[in-house]
Amino acid sequence: MTPEFIQYLTRIKYGARLEGSEEPGVMNELEAHMEDKLQELTESGLSEAEAIETCLGQMGSTKLIARQIYETYSQGSWKQVLLASMPHILFGLLFVLNWWHFAGWITVLLLLILATTVYGWWHGKPTWIFSWLGYTMLPVLAVGILLLYLPRGWSLLTLPLYFPLALWWLFRIIVQTTRRDWLFSSLMLLPLPILIGWFLAVSPSGKFTQASVQRVYDLAPWIGLSFIALALTIAAFIRLRQRWLRVALLATSGLMTLTLVVYYARERLNTSTFLGLMLVMWGVFLVPPLLDRLFRVRLQTRWRLREESATGSKKTA
Amino acid sequence: MAPKRDFLKGSSNSLLLSLLEVQPMYGYQIVKELEARSQGYFKFKEGTLYPALHRLEKSGLISGQWQMLPNGRQRRYYSITARGQAKLALEKTQWQDFLTAVKLILQPGPSSP
Repeated sequence: MTPEFIQYLTRIKYGARLEGSEEPGVMNELEAHMEDKLQELTESGLSEAEAIETCLGQMGSTKLIARQIYETYSQGSWKQVLLASMPHILFGLLFVLNWWHFAGWITVLLLLILATTVYGWWHGKPTWIFSWLGYTMLPVLAVGILLLYLPRGWSLLTLPLYFPLALWWLFRIIVQTTRRDWLFSSLMLLPLPILIGWFLAVSPSGKFTQASVQRVYDLAPWIGLSFIALALTIAAFIRLRQRWLRVALLATSGLMTLTLVVYYARERLNTSTFLGLMLVMWGVFLVPPLLDRLFRVRLQTRWRLREESATGSKKTA
Repeated sequence: MAPKRDFLKGSSNSLLLSLLEVQPMYGYQIVKELEARSQGYFKFKEGTLYPALHRLEKSGLISGQWQMLPNGRQRRYYSITARGQAKLALEKTQWQDFLTAVKLILQPGPSSP
């Protein structure tokens, strides 16, 4: 395959954002078509360069093809809807049914989340896995909170180690997910500002006291409702085909759910905390696309360098 | 040629199903056949054929199968399913009704007021 074809197909691959199981078939088919076309054009008397240019022109814009492929494959089945919204529903039920104070239920839920995430991660990273992946950050957050309870000297010693490690782990997951699709990173991180918001509402000092327990009891229906709102968002996200509609849905729902948190916890959250939470929410929507852009720029630079070195070696020859 | 493109957009499913009704074909063959049978009238960006084929396949109207050629290259052949044939029969009837209605307006008979 010529370098121009590789670039063309890579652009489509990057824009179509297919699942690992679907991608090879779609790309092989396009490649076979382009090879047939190139052969026909060269046999008709065109030079290789002319044939490549004509072939790419007749294939059409990579953006258009990638968008059409994305819209063909993006809609998930109802089974996927159920799987993707399940972690939010389970967390919602935990609070609505007031089961959150049973350590056994929380342990079972966290183990289920870890097991499902590991299974999905090693089985082609299907779309539904990313809503589960977001909750795997909970054990990491829990470790951070537990460190606060250590004797004073130990907390000071362990927290400087914990923060870089936790951030590195979070960053690794965001990078891996963004390589698949930056929208999945936003989807994965969506519960984060909501969880932080509720946590600060029940325990502003970061430590869980008897008063915090009472506040969770008071706020439990609203905490449950916010998770159910997330579940509905994910369900709609999975069924939508158009990318711009998915982006709009996540942004609208994220900001509305955060407003719900702030509204019901208004006596506990001050203005600066509210602004901080809004900043975290905007980070959820802006950091992944910026990372994605960075990856694209790197890829294009690599292509340019490859082209320059190929031109250089041709001239030398 | 926007009008041509619009015609093709609205009728691409019927056209693809009609071609595959005759025999199983692969993508490049479909492009050539469509161009030949329409005497060059239907020309479109060839890359957009595949999303259209995959949409039909996801709807269960056609099915695709990879075949290895003697030269080692692979091709995906599409064939129409029973569901696709039923859908095509329905669309053909609708097209016939539409064409008859258009003809009655464009070429009014002597009895028309």
